[in-house]
Amino acid sequence: MSNLMTVDVLSSIKGAKPSETVSKLFDVIKNAKSSSTNFTSKNHQNAVSLEQLRDDIIIESSNLEKKIIIENFPKEKNGYLVVSKVIEE
Amino acid sequence: MESQIREIHQQLVDQKISCTALVQEKLNLLKPNSYNTVNSLLENLALDKAKKVDEKIKNGEQIGLLEGIPFGVKDVFMLQGTYTTASADFLKNYKAAYTATAVQKLMDAGAIPIVKENCDSFGHGSSSENTIFGSVKNALNPELVAGGSSGGSAVNVAKNYTIFSIGGDTGGSVRQPAGYNKVYGLKPTYGRISRFGLLAYASSTDCVGPITTSIEDLRIVVNTISGIDVKDQTTYFSEEISEESIVKSDEVKTIGYFKNFIENDAIDATIKSDFLASIEKIKAKGIEVKELDFFDSEILIATYYTLAMAETASNLSRLDGTNYGNRMEGKNLKDTYSITRSENFSEETKRRIVGGNQVLSQGFSDDIYLKALSIRDQIAENFENDFQEVDVILSPVTPNLPPKIGDSLKNPLAMYLSDAYTVGFSLGQLPTLTIPQGTATGIQLSAAKNNDELLLKFANFLKEVI
Repeated sequence: MSNLMTVDVLSSIKGAKPSETVSKLFDVIKNAKSSSTNFTSKNHQNAVSLEQLRDDIIIESSNLEKKIIIENFPKEKNGYLVVSKVIEE
Repeated sequence: MESQIREIHQQLVDQKISCTALVQEKLNLLKPNSYNTVNSLLENLALDKAKKVDEKIKNGEQIGLLEGIPFGVKDVFMLQGTYTTASADFLKNYKAAYTATAVQKLMDAGAIPIVKENCDSFGHGSSSENTIFGSVKNALNPELVAGGSSGGSAVNVAKNYTIFSIGGDTGGSVRQPAGYNKVYGLKPTYGRISRFGLLAYASSTDCVGPITTSIEDLRIVVNTISGIDVKDQTTYFSEEISEESIVKSDEVKTIGYFKNFIENDAIDATIKSDFLASIEKIKAKGIEVKELDFFDSEILIATYYTLAMAETASNLSRLDGTNYGNRMEGKNLKDTYSITRSENFSEETKRRIVGGNQVLSQGFSDDIYLKALSIRDQIAENFENDFQEVDVILSPVTPNLPPKIGDSLKNPLAMYLSDAYTVGFSLGQLPTLTIPQGTATGIQLSAAKNNDELLLKFANFLKEVI
């Protein structure tokens, strides 16, 4: 398999092609005066310090939450949740 | 101060109205769905809660200020057991398993959610036409768009179908529809309000934003939903904004506006002249006004959309129909993924996902994605410098008047350009407020990070000035 993946494969959207409108936006960035690609993350410091991280513990979901999650599952057969076979290619 | 919440609270306490009658009245107004603002009504939940409030009042118990106040929720927020569709085919039968922090805090304070509101699918749009529930109509002229993506929320508030609504703002999605429908809409500082339970669009600019008819109502709602949440570790501690503090306006000595926003051919002539007339009125009150330099609208739009598309491609990659959503079976797993995604995402959502994957892929990421991040840093630095010179930056909310329904879908670039004045403040993660004054689509006030209080204060001052 080639290393190059097209946008339809990357996006898992059949027949997807790059849009002309969006390409125009990207051209604006390409041609922008700023030559730097070294962003400093100054604007993106939203992470918390280590002392403030939440406890690494498992919190059991409520029965209602579990019930809704199962209800949302797209396919059920004889009490089992059905997914596609994974081993293919 | 003018406040619908306070007024209704007093009527409930004085037993001039019952909570059940109030909620029923609002549900009756929403039921015909004349403006396509309703994705689902929360009738049973709302009436049950209203009954409990009435019992409390009847028993002589005190009620909180928000207790019994009906509000709307943009249909991108989780509310346990209710449909949360994001106005998309993909999630049209999806029920939220848990509740968003902001919504939970409002319910803990006794406010009553009555409606899940129409919006652009996954927040992808600026007109509330990219939705499976029909285009939302403008509250002032139903032939025009409501704005977006929180169009249903802004229209419900403007029509008084809800007392306030909770929207989401990534690049202008609260501020622009607030401007189009003449109500207040706040995008708070990024991180002030928890995003837990808000369907992610672009995580680095997504904000929860209230829409109201008064500054005091904004203050009440913002105070209720702000604060640290362990479920969203970008949240930070913020002081409560007091009523007294926003009555005083003496803090604002200097304001600024971006002259390139005003001195260009793309802006509507009346918006330009009305904005400049407002600036003159502010000047006449002894406030210094500075003209500021800023990035071209084209650069702002391109930077915002490049980053937002990259983030949304990543965020929406989890939607594959395996665990939830409208799965469509294919011949194998990969085929199932791609049929499900091809059939269930709208054209606009697909355009953004594809653009995002394109920009993140090898050969593009250095030239475009990383460069856009670098420009974003420069934008943030520009803001930091500006706020050394001025207290508040004013700008029009939009360059043009709301378009007719149908026009935006034909021309996505024109729709992206309608966000020209809102996206820069999102990239800077600044608090920014639309006030329904000054131009036909309102005026936007922006302050330095964490200075949300100053915006409410200055908005209160401007009520009498412009």
